[in-house]
Amino acid sequence: MDPGWEGALQEKLQSSLDRGGKGPTKRTAVDVVDPRPHKHHMLPVWFFIGLILLIYGVIICGTGIYELSHPPVTVLANLHAPIWWGAIMVAAGASQVNKYRPGKIRP
Amino acid sequence: MSLPPLALLSDPSARIMAPHAVDFVIIVIYFAMVLAIGFYLKKYTTTGEDFFLAGREMTAWVAGLSFVSANLGTLELMGWAGSAYQYGILAAHWYWIGAIPAMVFLGIVMMPFYYISKTHSVPGYLQLRFGEPTSALSAVSFAFMTILMSGVNMFSMALVMKVMLGWNLNVSIWVSSITVGLYVTLGGLFSAIFNEVVQFFLIWFGAMLIPILGLIEAGGWSGMVARIQHNFPGQDFTHLWGPMAHFTSNPMGIHWTGIVFGLGMTISMGYWTTDFLVVQRVLSAQDLRAAKLAPIIGSFFKMAVPFIVILPGLLGLAVLPFKLVPESQLQPGMHSYNEVLPLMLARYCGPGLLGLGITALLAGFMSGMAGNVSAFSTVWTYDLYRPFLRKSAPDAHYVAMGRWCTMIGLLISIGAAYVVMQFASIMDYVQALFSFFIAPLFGTVVLGMMFKRITGVGAFGGLLAGTVSSIVMFVLVKTNPSALAVVALSSHAKALAENMYRALWSWLICVTVTLVVSFLTKPKSDQRYEGLVYGATAVPSEGNVALLHRPVFWAGVALALFLVLQWIFW
Repeated sequence: MDPGWEGALQEKLQSSLDRGGKGPTKRTAVDVVDPRPHKHHMLPVWFFIGLILLIYGVIICGTGIYELSHPPVTVLANLHAPIWWGAIMVAAGASQVNKYRPGKIRP
Repeated sequence: MSLPPLALLSDPSARIMAPHAVDFVIIVIYFAMVLAIGFYLKKYTTTGEDFFLAGREMTAWVAGLSFVSANLGTLELMGWAGSAYQYGILAAHWYWIGAIPAMVFLGIVMMPFYYISKTHSVPGYLQLRFGEPTSALSAVSFAFMTILMSGVNMFSMALVMKVMLGWNLNVSIWVSSITVGLYVTLGGLFSAIFNEVVQFFLIWFGAMLIPILGLIEAGGWSGMVARIQHNFPGQDFTHLWGPMAHFTSNPMGIHWTGIVFGLGMTISMGYWTTDFLVVQRVLSAQDLRAAKLAPIIGSFFKMAVPFIVILPGLLGLAVLPFKLVPESQLQPGMHSYNEVLPLMLARYCGPGLLGLGITALLAGFMSGMAGNVSAFSTVWTYDLYRPFLRKSAPDAHYVAMGRWCTMIGLLISIGAAYVVMQFASIMDYVQALFSFFIAPLFGTVVLGMMFKRITGVGAFGGLLAGTVSSIVMFVLVKTNPSALAVVALSSHAKALAENMYRALWSWLICVTVTLVVSFLTKPKSDQRYEGLVYGATAVPSEGNVALLHRPVFWAGVALALFLVLQWIFW
């Protein structure tokens, strides 16, 4: 284990207890087992998920609109699933891309 | 815990799906995205901890989703959907009692030891607790089996793509392997985990329309049950526990004791708590609370997976205009149980959605492959290469070794895939082999965590005895089928039931031998216990925190939800 681990543990434990479990970080006592700060500041995975959902949503929704005039030979094609499913994907993807886009300041 | 769709080989001319240009665009975008993630993460992957443990900075949500995704392979999805068509809702046991208690147990009981000991792997924990012999036995068996399993999965994937889409076997194997090899070599576990979480969402978005549209077509749950009863009169496909009072009263040929003790207490505990492929994802968590929460978050998603796997199988019973058959009865123009998921996908999904569904299947294959190679490279580098070949080298040397053996591991897997292509019956044996190690390993790890008195000699003897006894039981039943009545307690037992009981006996043998040998031998005088054994480790308390932030609270919610599901579908 890292040298100074116990000292850091005690310090953070006391700090956590002093806040009575409240405070801006909402970290719990068990968090302090590895108090090393994060090294990397990469884009969160949620951005990539949002991006691919957004791209797929646009393609699928567009296909659904095209299928209004060229219906596919699938069961329940009358429900136009690609339109609403694509729209759901666009909404989910766009919200994540907007929330985690590069350059946006996050807490 | 997967069922190979071997039967698909039987009629390669009968393509289930006919993708359009837009479907190929969706598939190409997927490949571009996973490679882009690998290239993006390369600059963040510089140290051994980055490459092998994703810098230990994943949040509970990312680690938890990756934990579930590594197990959400396409063979699992297709195989268990096929099992649901064959056995009904009984197949859901593998997602509920066969996973939820074990995941909660990992989070609350075992994770503190894995995490506080700062181990990089499960064999690494065994090395700290019992010394090198036990660790080496576990590492060698894991590395060997992981790479072999990876080859089997690779071949199965190529086979599925050939039958569903008419793709060339060689192209499928090489394109998917090179893609996975590139992104794991570039970004290590960072890349594997990021892509697994992306794949998790693609699998859900790609597969979720099947049960939604299926329930609309069938007229809801009650309509589906009525149609199944009409199509298959006199058979119970929609109750979980009711048909298991006797071995002969259910199509699986299993008694409830096999499910509870064999699956729930042994196989699932072994798989979810000691298979490094899944445990590695949780070890990447940023702190102990995240490490404890990750498997518990994963358990909620695991509970929901039957919605996209078991329900399509049941809906297949209700709405498909033809009956699927066992692999042994396949004739040209027929479809096997294992094809129910692609058949349902093709039934409801036109261009675009079909591409998304195919991408979901590809994503499942590739996440499993990435899980195998990233776990293999960690165990090879840290548990075999470092202790036995090069003890002290700079960190950069081990990172380079990890990168090299990711590619080498993939090449060996590809070799294994071609061997399996020549001798298809090997697949069944490889899958059985993997189960030989899991149940005894759980016995060894859990005893070592709970009791200081367990010695290294006892652990090694128990692990060896459990593994060997499992192999002996398997060979015995293969060579003398009448032994099934002894091993599985009933001559009516099917292969799945036999696995349950074989795991249970091998676990009991491992535990018994470990205890007896431990009490006959003395622990090493310099044995370290702190951080490794219950009673000798000060596990930090959760302090004065709100209930909603406590892992134990969410563990209770997960178990309560699990019990409610059992009651609803009893």
